Amino acid sequence: MSAPVDFPAMITEKVKEPLEFLGGVALLTKDTLKELRTRPFYGSLLVDQIYLVGVKSLPLVLITALSTGMVMALQYGLGLEKFGGKPYVPRLVASTILREMGPVFTSLMLAARVGAGMASEIGSMVVTQQIDAIRALGTSPIKKIVIPRVLACLIVLPLLVSIANLVGNFGGLVVGSTELNLDTQFYFRRVLETSNLKDYIAGFGKTFFFALFIALPSCYFGLNVKNGTKEVGIATTKAVVTASLLILVGDFFLAKIFWVIEQWL
Amino acid sequence: MALIEIVNFKKAFGTKIIHENVSFYVKKGECLGLVGGSGAGKSVILRSLIGLEKPDSGQILINGVDIVPLNEQELIPVRKQVAYAFQGGALFDSMTVYENLAYPLRAHTELVETEIAEKIHHQLAEFGLEKSIHLYPGELSGGMQKRIGLARAVIMQPEIILYDEPTAGLDPYNTRKIQELILRLKATGVTAILVTHDIPTAMAVCDKFAFLKDKVIAEQGTIDQLLSRDNSLIQQFIEGNIL
Repeated sequence: MSAPVDFPAMITEKVKEPLEFLGGVALLTKDTLKELRTRPFYGSLLVDQIYLVGVKSLPLVLITALSTGMVMALQYGLGLEKFGGKPYVPRLVASTILREMGPVFTSLMLAARVGAGMASEIGSMVVTQQIDAIRALGTSPIKKIVIPRVLACLIVLPLLVSIANLVGNFGGLVVGSTELNLDTQFYFRRVLETSNLKDYIAGFGKTFFFALFIALPSCYFGLNVKNGTKEVGIATTKAVVTASLLILVGDFFLAKIFWVIEQWL
Repeated sequence: MALIEIVNFKKAFGTKIIHENVSFYVKKGECLGLVGGSGAGKSVILRSLIGLEKPDSGQILINGVDIVPLNEQELIPVRKQVAYAFQGGALFDSMTVYENLAYPLRAHTELVETEIAEKIHHQLAEFGLEKSIHLYPGELSGGMQKRIGLARAVIMQPEIILYDEPTAGLDPYNTRKIQELILRLKATGVTAILVTHDIPTAMAVCDKFAFLKDKVIAEQGTIDQLLSRDNSLIQQFIEGNIL
Protein backbone atom coordinates (compact mmCIF):
# COMPACT_ATOMS: atom_id res chain seq x y z
CA MET A 1 0.00 0.00 0.00
CA SER A 2 1.41 3.39 -0.94
CA ALA A 3 2.01 6.01 1.77
CA PRO A 4 -0.72 8.62 2.22
CA VAL A 5 -0.09 11.91 0.47
CA ASP A 6 0.89 14.68 2.88
CA PHE A 7 -1.12 17.54 1.33
CA PRO A 8 -0.15 20.27 3.85
CA ALA A 9 3.55 19.52 3.32
CA MET A 10 3.03 19.47 -0.44
CA ILE A 11 1.22 22.82 -0.39
CA THR A 12 3.89 24.32 1.89
CA GLU A 13 6.60 23.19 -0.52
CA LYS A 14 4.72 24.65 -3.51
CA VAL A 15 4.20 27.99 -1.77
CA LYS A 16 7.71 28.16 -0.30
CA GLU A 17 9.58 28.44 -3.57
CA PRO A 18 7.79 31.48 -5.01
CA LEU A 19 7.92 33.19 -1.62
CA GLU A 20 11.65 32.52 -1.38
CA PHE A 21 12.06 33.90 -4.88
CA LEU A 22 10.11 37.08 -4.08
CA GLY A 23 12.01 37.59 -0.84
CA GLY A 24 15.35 36.85 -2.50
CA VAL A 25 14.75 39.22 -5.42
CA ALA A 26 13.55 41.92 -3.02
CA LEU A 27 16.76 41.58 -0.98
CA LEU A 28 18.87 41.55 -4.14
CA THR A 29 17.11 44.72 -5.35
CA LYS A 30 17.70 46.38 -1.97
CA ASP A 31 21.41 45.47 -2.00
CA THR A 32 21.74 46.59 -5.61
CA LEU A 33 20.18 49.99 -4.85
CA LYS A 34 22.34 50.34 -1.73
CA GLU A 35 25.58 49.48 -3.49
CA LEU A 36 24.77 51.66 -6.51
CA ARG A 37 25.26 54.67 -4.25
CA THR A 38 28.75 53.69 -3.08
CA ARG A 39 32.15 53.67 -4.77
CA PRO A 40 33.85 52.12 -6.68
CA PHE A 41 31.85 52.00 -9.89
CA TYR A 42 33.12 49.50 -12.44
CA GLY A 43 32.51 51.36 -15.71
CA SER A 44 34.49 48.93 -17.85
CA LEU A 45 32.34 46.02 -16.67
CA LEU A 46 29.23 47.99 -17.63
CA VAL A 47 30.63 48.62 -21.11
CA ASP A 48 31.40 44.88 -21.47
CA GLN A 49 27.85 44.01 -20.48
CA ILE A 50 26.34 46.60 -22.82
CA TYR A 51 28.28 44.95 -25.63
CA LEU A 52 27.24 41.43 -24.60
CA VAL A 53 23.60 42.27 -23.92
CA GLY A 54 23.07 44.84 -26.66
CA VAL A 55 25.37 44.41 -29.63
CA LYS A 56 25.39 40.62 -29.48
CA SER A 57 21.57 40.48 -29.25
CA LEU A 58 21.00 42.81 -32.19
CA PRO A 59 20.79 40.18 -34.97
CA LEU A 60 18.23 38.17 -33.01
CA VAL A 61 16.16 41.27 -32.29
CA LEU A 62 16.30 42.42 -35.91
CA ILE A 63 15.11 39.07 -37.27
CA THR A 64 12.32 38.82 -34.69
CA ALA A 65 11.12 42.38 -35.31
CA LEU A 66 11.23 42.08 -39.08
CA SER A 67 9.29 38.83 -39.20
CA THR A 68 6.76 40.08 -36.63
CA GLY A 69 6.05 43.21 -38.65
CA MET A 70 5.77 41.25 -41.89
CA VAL A 71 3.45 38.60 -40.43
CA MET A 72 1.22 41.19 -38.78
CA ALA A 73 0.88 43.21 -41.95
CA LEU A 74 0.02 40.07 -43.89
CA GLN A 75 -2.54 38.81 -41.37
CA TYR A 76 -4.20 42.20 -40.89
CA GLY A 77 -4.22 42.79 -44.65
CA LEU A 78 -5.76 39.44 -45.52
CA GLY A 79 -8.28 39.70 -42.68
CA LEU A 80 -9.38 43.26 -43.43
CA GLU A 81 -9.42 42.91 -47.22
CA LYS A 82 -12.93 41.43 -47.14
CA PHE A 83 -14.23 44.55 -45.40
CA GLY A 84 -12.23 46.98 -47.45
CA GLY A 85 -10.07 47.74 -44.46
CA LYS A 86 -6.66 47.40 -46.07
CA PRO A 87 -5.87 51.14 -45.70
CA TYR A 88 -6.00 50.64 -41.93
CA VAL A 89 -3.16 48.12 -41.98
CA PRO A 90 -0.33 50.70 -41.50
CA ARG A 91 -2.05 52.18 -38.46
CA LEU A 92 -2.83 48.79 -36.91
CA VAL A 93 0.64 47.37 -37.52
CA ALA A 94 2.40 50.48 -36.21
CA SER A 95 0.25 50.75 -33.12
CA THR A 96 0.56 47.06 -32.25
CA ILE A 97 4.32 47.10 -32.73
CA LEU A 98 4.91 50.29 -30.79
CA ARG A 99 2.65 49.39 -27.90
CA GLU A 100 3.02 45.64 -27.56
CA MET A 101 4.92 43.53 -30.03
CA GLY A 102 8.11 45.59 -30.12
CA PRO A 103 8.68 45.72 -26.35
CA VAL A 104 7.29 42.27 -25.53
CA PHE A 105 8.95 40.25 -28.30
CA THR A 106 12.29 42.03 -27.89
CA SER A 107 12.18 41.45 -24.15
CA LEU A 108 11.28 37.80 -24.59
CA MET A 109 14.18 37.33 -26.98
CA LEU A 110 16.50 39.03 -24.50
CA ALA A 111 15.12 36.93 -21.64
CA ALA A 112 15.94 33.79 -23.60
CA ARG A 113 19.39 34.85 -24.77
CA VAL A 114 20.68 37.14 -22.07
CA GLY A 115 18.77 35.75 -19.08
CA ALA A 116 20.02 32.24 -19.79
CA GLY A 117 23.55 33.53 -20.32
CA MET A 118 23.55 35.50 -17.08
CA ALA A 119 22.14 32.71 -14.93
CA SER A 120 24.49 30.06 -16.32
CA GLU A 121 27.57 32.30 -16.17
CA ILE A 122 26.92 33.40 -12.59
CA GLY A 123 25.93 29.87 -11.58
CA SER A 124 29.20 28.51 -12.99
CA MET A 125 31.09 31.20 -11.09
CA VAL A 126 29.38 30.03 -7.89
CA VAL A 127 30.28 26.39 -8.57
CA THR A 128 33.93 27.22 -9.28
CA GLN A 129 34.08 29.41 -6.14
CA GLN A 130 34.72 32.58 -8.16
CA ILE A 131 31.91 34.38 -6.33
CA ASP A 132 33.45 33.28 -3.02
CA ALA A 133 36.80 34.57 -4.29
CA ILE A 134 35.26 37.97 -5.09
CA ARG A 135 34.00 38.15 -1.49
CA ALA A 136 37.19 36.70 0.01
CA LEU A 137 39.24 39.34 -1.79
CA GLY A 138 37.21 42.02 -0.04
CA THR A 139 35.05 43.02 -3.00
CA SER A 140 31.34 42.78 -3.64
CA PRO A 141 29.64 40.36 -6.06
CA ILE A 142 26.74 42.80 -6.23
CA LYS A 143 29.02 45.53 -7.56
CA LYS A 144 31.06 43.27 -9.83
CA ILE A 145 28.34 40.98 -11.11
CA VAL A 146 24.81 42.26 -10.51
CA ILE A 147 25.02 46.05 -11.00
CA PRO A 148 26.74 45.96 -14.44
CA ARG A 149 24.16 43.44 -15.70
CA VAL A 150 21.13 45.28 -14.35
CA LEU A 151 22.34 48.65 -15.67
CA ALA A 152 23.25 47.15 -19.03
CA CYS A 153 19.73 45.75 -19.42
CA LEU A 154 18.19 49.09 -18.36
CA ILE A 155 20.28 50.96 -20.93
CA VAL A 156 20.17 48.47 -23.77
CA LEU A 157 16.59 47.20 -23.79
CA PRO A 158 14.95 50.58 -24.58
CA LEU A 159 17.46 51.07 -27.40
CA LEU A 160 16.86 47.60 -28.80
CA VAL A 161 13.09 48.14 -28.61
CA SER A 162 13.46 51.42 -30.52
CA ILE A 163 15.38 49.61 -33.25
CA ALA A 164 12.86 46.75 -33.22
CA ASN A 165 10.00 49.22 -33.66
CA LEU A 166 11.65 50.72 -36.73
CA VAL A 167 12.51 47.36 -38.25
CA GLY A 168 9.07 45.91 -37.47
CA ASN A 169 7.36 48.79 -39.23
CA PHE A 170 9.74 48.42 -42.13
CA GLY A 171 8.72 44.75 -42.37
CA GLY A 172 5.07 45.82 -42.41
CA LEU A 173 5.80 48.34 -45.15
CA VAL A 174 7.56 45.73 -47.29
CA VAL A 175 4.62 43.31 -47.03
CA GLY A 176 2.08 46.16 -47.39
CA SER A 177 3.60 47.28 -50.67
CA THR A 178 4.47 43.87 -52.15
CA GLU A 179 1.70 41.57 -50.93
CA LEU A 180 -1.18 43.94 -50.19
CA ASN A 181 -0.51 46.34 -53.07
CA LEU A 182 -0.53 49.38 -50.80
CA ASP A 183 1.40 52.39 -52.05
CA THR A 184 4.74 52.70 -50.23
CA GLN A 185 4.37 56.46 -49.82
CA PHE A 186 0.83 56.02 -48.52
CA TYR A 187 1.90 53.33 -46.05
CA PHE A 188 4.80 55.41 -44.76
CA ARG A 189 2.66 58.54 -44.42
CA ARG A 190 -0.11 56.67 -42.62
CA VAL A 191 2.35 55.26 -40.07
CA LEU A 192 3.72 58.75 -39.34
CA GLU A 193 0.29 60.39 -39.24
CA THR A 194 -1.43 57.85 -37.03
CA SER A 195 1.33 56.97 -34.58
CA ASN A 196 1.53 59.37 -31.69
CA LEU A 197 3.52 60.05 -28.55
CA LYS A 198 1.13 58.01 -26.43
CA ASP A 199 1.94 54.89 -28.46
CA TYR A 200 5.65 55.48 -27.83
CA ILE A 201 5.21 56.12 -24.12
CA ALA A 202 3.01 53.05 -23.63
CA GLY A 203 5.58 50.79 -25.28
CA PHE A 204 8.81 52.47 -24.28
CA GLY A 205 7.87 52.87 -20.61
CA LYS A 206 7.42 49.14 -20.20
CA THR A 207 10.96 48.37 -21.33
CA PHE A 208 12.50 49.62 -18.07
CA PHE A 209 10.33 47.20 -16.10
CA PHE A 210 11.05 44.38 -18.54
CA ALA A 211 14.79 45.04 -18.17
CA LEU A 212 14.48 44.50 -14.44
CA PHE A 213 12.29 41.43 -15.00
CA ILE A 214 15.15 39.92 -17.04
CA ALA A 215 18.24 40.97 -15.10
CA LEU A 216 17.19 40.56 -11.47
CA PRO A 217 15.74 37.00 -11.61
CA SER A 218 18.64 35.87 -13.80
CA CYS A 219 21.21 37.17 -11.30
CA TYR A 220 19.16 35.81 -8.40
CA PHE A 221 18.93 32.27 -9.79
CA GLY A 222 22.60 32.31 -10.81
CA LEU A 223 23.78 33.45 -7.38
CA ASN A 224 21.63 30.84 -5.65
CA VAL A 225 23.16 27.82 -7.36
CA LYS A 226 24.33 25.53 -4.58
CA ASN A 227 24.93 21.92 -5.47
CA GLY A 228 27.20 21.71 -8.47
CA THR A 229 26.84 21.93 -12.21
CA LYS A 230 23.46 20.18 -12.40
CA GLU A 231 21.90 23.15 -10.63
CA VAL A 232 23.39 25.54 -13.19
CA GLY A 233 21.09 24.05 -15.83
CA ILE A 234 18.10 24.24 -13.49
CA ALA A 235 18.92 27.85 -12.58
CA THR A 236 19.17 28.74 -16.28
CA THR A 237 15.77 27.22 -17.04
CA LYS A 238 14.20 28.93 -14.03
CA ALA A 239 15.70 32.28 -15.02
CA VAL A 240 14.31 32.12 -18.56
CA VAL A 241 10.88 30.83 -17.52
CA THR A 242 10.53 33.36 -14.68
CA ALA A 243 11.69 36.31 -16.78
CA SER A 244 9.35 35.31 -19.63
CA LEU A 245 6.38 34.91 -17.29
CA LEU A 246 7.09 38.21 -15.58
CA ILE A 247 7.23 39.94 -18.96
CA LEU A 248 4.01 38.38 -20.23
CA VAL A 249 1.99 38.74 -17.02
CA GLY A 250 3.55 42.08 -16.15
CA ASP A 251 2.68 43.37 -19.62
CA PHE A 252 -1.02 43.23 -18.83
CA PHE A 253 -0.70 45.24 -15.63
CA LEU A 254 1.75 47.68 -17.18
CA ALA A 255 -0.61 48.17 -20.14
CA LYS A 256 -3.34 49.08 -17.66
CA ILE A 257 -1.06 51.47 -15.77
CA PHE A 258 0.11 53.18 -18.95
CA TRP A 259 -3.47 53.39 -20.16
CA VAL A 260 -4.32 55.36 -16.99
CA ILE A 261 -1.25 57.55 -17.49
CA GLU A 262 -2.32 58.21 -21.07
CA GLN A 263 -5.65 59.59 -19.83
CA TRP A 264 -3.73 62.25 -17.92
CA LEU A 265 -1.60 63.26 -20.90
CA MET B 1 48.22 36.22 22.28
CA ALA B 2 46.06 34.24 19.89
CA LEU B 3 45.69 35.84 16.46
CA ILE B 4 42.86 33.49 15.53
CA GLU B 5 40.45 32.10 18.10
CA ILE B 6 37.28 30.08 17.65
CA VAL B 7 35.05 29.75 20.69
CA ASN B 8 32.09 27.36 20.98
CA PHE B 9 31.55 27.29 17.22
CA LYS B 10 28.27 25.65 16.24
CA LYS B 11 27.04 25.12 12.70
CA ALA B 12 24.23 23.13 11.13
CA PHE B 13 22.89 22.94 7.58
CA GLY B 14 19.16 22.40 7.94
CA THR B 15 18.76 19.52 10.37
CA LYS B 16 22.30 18.23 9.82
CA ILE B 17 24.58 19.36 12.64
CA ILE B 18 28.15 19.83 11.41
CA HIS B 19 29.88 21.30 14.47
CA GLU B 20 29.12 21.45 18.17
CA ASN B 21 31.21 23.60 20.50
CA VAL B 22 34.35 23.65 18.40
CA SER B 23 37.07 25.75 20.07
CA PHE B 24 40.73 26.30 19.20
CA TYR B 25 43.23 29.08 18.77
CA VAL B 26 46.28 29.88 16.66
CA LYS B 27 49.07 32.18 17.88
CA LYS B 28 50.83 34.70 15.68
CA GLY B 29 53.30 33.00 13.34
CA GLU B 30 51.91 29.52 13.99
CA CYS B 31 50.55 27.11 11.43
CA LEU B 32 47.66 24.93 12.54
CA GLY B 33 46.79 21.75 10.66
CA LEU B 34 43.05 21.20 10.73
CA VAL B 35 42.48 17.55 9.92
CA GLY B 36 39.59 15.13 9.94
CA GLY B 37 37.69 12.75 7.72
CA SER B 38 35.86 13.79 4.55
CA GLY B 39 32.69 15.67 5.41
CA ALA B 40 33.92 16.54 8.91
CA GLY B 41 33.37 20.22 8.14
CA LYS B 42 36.96 21.45 7.95
CA SER B 43 36.26 23.76 5.03
CA VAL B 44 33.15 25.13 6.80
CA ILE B 45 35.38 26.34 9.63
CA LEU B 46 37.88 27.79 7.17
CA ARG B 47 35.13 29.60 5.23
CA SER B 48 33.68 30.93 8.49
CA LEU B 49 37.05 32.43 9.41
CA ILE B 50 36.70 34.86 6.52
CA GLY B 51 32.95 35.41 6.82
CA LEU B 52 31.93 33.29 3.82
CA GLU B 53 29.77 31.25 6.24
CA LYS B 54 28.15 32.37 9.47
CA PRO B 55 28.12 30.06 12.49
CA ASP B 56 24.79 29.45 14.23
CA SER B 57 26.44 30.44 17.48
CA GLY B 58 29.89 31.01 18.92
CA GLN B 59 32.65 33.52 18.36
CA ILE B 60 35.35 33.87 15.73
CA LEU B 61 38.03 36.25 16.91
CA ILE B 62 40.56 37.61 14.44
CA ASN B 63 43.09 39.83 16.18
CA GLY B 64 40.66 40.02 19.11
CA VAL B 65 37.71 41.20 16.99
CA ASP B 66 34.63 38.97 16.77
CA ILE B 67 33.81 38.80 13.05
CA VAL B 68 30.53 36.88 13.42
CA PRO B 69 28.25 39.93 13.74
CA LEU B 70 30.01 41.85 10.94
CA ASN B 71 28.21 42.51 7.64
CA GLU B 72 29.85 42.25 4.19
CA GLN B 73 31.02 45.88 4.30
CA GLU B 74 32.47 45.55 7.78
CA LEU B 75 34.24 42.33 6.78
CA ILE B 76 36.34 44.07 4.10
CA PRO B 77 39.17 45.08 6.51
CA VAL B 78 39.21 41.50 7.86
CA ARG B 79 39.40 40.09 4.33
CA LYS B 80 42.37 42.33 3.53
CA GLN B 81 44.12 40.83 6.54
CA VAL B 82 43.12 37.20 5.97
CA ALA B 83 43.85 35.49 2.65
CA TYR B 84 42.01 32.40 1.47
CA ALA B 85 43.72 29.96 -0.89
CA PHE B 86 40.83 28.10 -2.51
CA GLN B 87 41.02 24.40 -3.26
CA GLY B 88 40.73 24.83 -7.03
CA GLY B 89 42.39 28.24 -7.18
CA ALA B 90 39.06 30.00 -7.88
CA LEU B 91 40.69 32.14 -10.54
CA PHE B 92 38.42 34.43 -12.53
CA ASP B 93 38.24 32.60 -15.84
CA SER B 94 37.38 35.70 -17.86
CA MET B 95 40.65 37.33 -16.78
CA THR B 96 44.30 36.58 -17.55
CA VAL B 97 46.74 35.64 -14.79
CA TYR B 98 47.91 39.27 -14.74
CA GLU B 99 44.35 40.57 -14.34
CA ASN B 100 43.66 38.02 -11.61
CA LEU B 101 46.64 39.18 -9.59
CA ALA B 102 45.91 42.83 -10.28
CA TYR B 103 42.34 42.42 -9.01
CA PRO B 104 42.95 42.83 -5.24
CA LEU B 105 45.62 45.47 -5.81
CA ARG B 106 43.28 47.62 -7.90
CA ALA B 107 40.47 47.15 -5.39
CA HIS B 108 42.38 47.96 -2.23
CA THR B 109 45.50 49.97 -3.01
CA GLU B 110 46.29 53.32 -4.56
CA LEU B 111 49.10 51.83 -6.66
CA VAL B 112 49.44 53.09 -10.22
CA GLU B 113 49.43 50.56 -13.07
CA THR B 114 53.24 50.45 -13.42
CA GLU B 115 53.61 49.66 -9.71
CA ILE B 116 50.91 46.99 -9.97
CA ALA B 117 52.71 45.44 -12.95
CA GLU B 118 56.00 45.47 -11.08
CA LYS B 119 54.45 43.81 -8.04
CA ILE B 120 52.79 41.14 -10.17
CA HIS B 121 56.01 40.35 -12.07
CA HIS B 122 57.86 40.07 -8.77
CA GLN B 123 55.19 37.83 -7.24
CA LEU B 124 55.04 35.54 -10.25
CA ALA B 125 58.84 35.29 -10.37
CA GLU B 126 58.84 34.27 -6.72
CA PHE B 127 56.28 31.56 -7.48
CA GLY B 128 58.11 30.49 -10.65
CA LEU B 129 55.18 31.38 -12.87
CA GLU B 130 56.44 34.34 -14.93
CA LYS B 131 55.70 32.64 -18.25
CA SER B 132 52.00 32.29 -17.49
CA ILE B 133 51.36 36.00 -16.99
CA HIS B 134 49.26 36.48 -20.14
CA LEU B 135 47.48 33.13 -20.05
CA TYR B 136 43.88 32.51 -19.06
CA PRO B 137 43.08 30.05 -16.24
CA GLY B 138 41.67 27.59 -18.78
CA GLU B 139 45.13 27.36 -20.37
CA LEU B 140 46.82 26.40 -17.09
CA SER B 141 47.25 23.02 -15.42
CA GLY B 142 45.50 22.31 -12.10
CA GLY B 143 48.75 22.72 -10.18
CA MET B 144 49.51 26.04 -11.84
CA GLN B 145 45.99 27.27 -11.14
CA LYS B 146 46.47 26.48 -7.46
CA ARG B 147 49.83 28.26 -7.36
CA ILE B 148 48.41 31.32 -9.13
CA GLY B 149 45.46 31.25 -6.72
CA LEU B 150 47.95 31.23 -3.86
CA ALA B 151 49.95 34.04 -5.48
CA ARG B 152 46.75 36.11 -5.78
CA ALA B 153 45.82 35.36 -2.16
CA VAL B 154 49.15 36.55 -0.78
CA ILE B 155 49.82 39.50 -3.07
CA MET B 156 48.27 41.85 -0.50
CA GLN B 157 50.74 40.52 2.11
CA PRO B 158 48.12 39.25 4.56
CA GLU B 159 48.76 38.47 8.20
CA ILE B 160 46.83 35.21 8.00
CA ILE B 161 46.52 32.61 5.23
CA LEU B 162 43.86 29.91 5.12
CA TYR B 163 44.81 26.99 2.89
CA ASP B 164 41.95 24.79 1.74
CA GLU B 165 43.39 21.47 0.51
CA PRO B 166 46.28 23.16 -1.33
CA THR B 167 47.82 19.91 -2.57
CA ALA B 168 44.64 17.89 -3.27
CA GLY B 169 44.72 16.14 -6.63
CA LEU B 170 48.24 17.29 -7.53
CA ASP B 171 51.17 15.29 -8.86
CA PRO B 172 54.29 14.96 -6.65
CA TYR B 173 56.08 17.80 -8.49
CA ASN B 174 53.28 20.32 -7.94
CA THR B 175 52.72 19.06 -4.38
CA ARG B 176 56.37 19.75 -3.59
CA LYS B 177 56.14 23.18 -5.22
CA ILE B 178 53.11 24.12 -3.12
CA GLN B 179 54.75 22.74 0.02
CA GLU B 180 57.83 24.89 -0.66
CA LEU B 181 55.67 27.96 -1.16
CA ILE B 182 53.81 27.38 2.11
CA LEU B 183 57.10 26.92 3.95
CA ARG B 184 58.51 30.07 2.38
CA LEU B 185 55.43 32.05 3.41
CA LYS B 186 55.64 30.55 6.90
CA ALA B 187 59.22 31.74 7.17
CA THR B 188 58.02 35.31 6.70
CA GLY B 189 56.00 34.99 9.92
CA VAL B 190 52.56 34.54 8.41
CA THR B 191 49.96 32.81 10.59
CA ALA B 192 48.15 29.98 8.83
CA ILE B 193 45.54 27.27 9.03
CA LEU B 194 45.99 24.33 6.70
CA VAL B 195 43.11 22.01 5.87
CA THR B 196 44.52 18.93 4.22
CA HIS B 197 44.52 15.17 3.81
CA ASP B 198 48.15 15.28 2.70
CA ILE B 199 49.98 13.98 5.78
CA PRO B 200 53.59 14.64 4.63
CA THR B 201 52.76 18.26 3.79
CA ALA B 202 50.88 18.71 7.06
CA MET B 203 53.77 17.22 9.07
CA ALA B 204 56.30 19.38 7.23
CA VAL B 205 54.40 22.62 7.58
CA CYS B 206 52.24 22.60 10.71
CA ASP B 207 53.32 23.47 14.23
CA LYS B 208 50.22 21.97 15.78
CA PHE B 209 47.12 20.04 14.83
CA ALA B 210 43.43 20.00 15.60
CA PHE B 211 41.51 16.80 14.86
CA LEU B 212 37.87 17.14 13.93
CA LYS B 213 35.77 14.09 14.73
CA ASP B 214 32.09 13.64 15.53
CA LYS B 215 31.35 17.38 15.26
CA VAL B 216 33.96 18.41 17.84
CA ILE B 217 37.73 18.86 18.13
CA ALA B 218 38.68 15.43 19.42
CA GLU B 219 42.37 16.20 19.99
CA GLN B 220 44.65 19.18 19.61
CA GLY B 221 48.26 20.08 20.34
CA THR B 222 51.78 20.04 18.93
CA ILE B 223 52.93 16.88 17.22
CA ASP B 224 55.13 15.97 20.23
CA GLN B 225 52.24 16.46 22.63
CA LEU B 226 49.98 14.37 20.44
CA LEU B 227 52.51 11.56 20.06
CA SER B 228 52.96 11.39 23.83
CA ARG B 229 49.23 10.66 24.15
CA ASP B 230 48.28 7.07 23.51
CA ASN B 231 45.47 7.86 21.11
CA SER B 232 44.38 5.65 18.25
CA LEU B 233 43.07 8.67 16.33
CA ILE B 234 46.53 10.20 16.17
CA GLN B 235 48.07 6.90 15.17
CA GLN B 236 45.54 6.63 12.36
CA PHE B 237 46.40 10.17 11.23
CA ILE B 238 50.15 9.58 11.18
CA GLU B 239 49.64 6.31 9.33
CA GLY B 240 47.51 8.16 6.83
CA ASN B 241 44.30 6.36 7.62
CA ILE B 242 42.22 9.48 8.22
CA LEU B 243 40.89 10.43 4.83
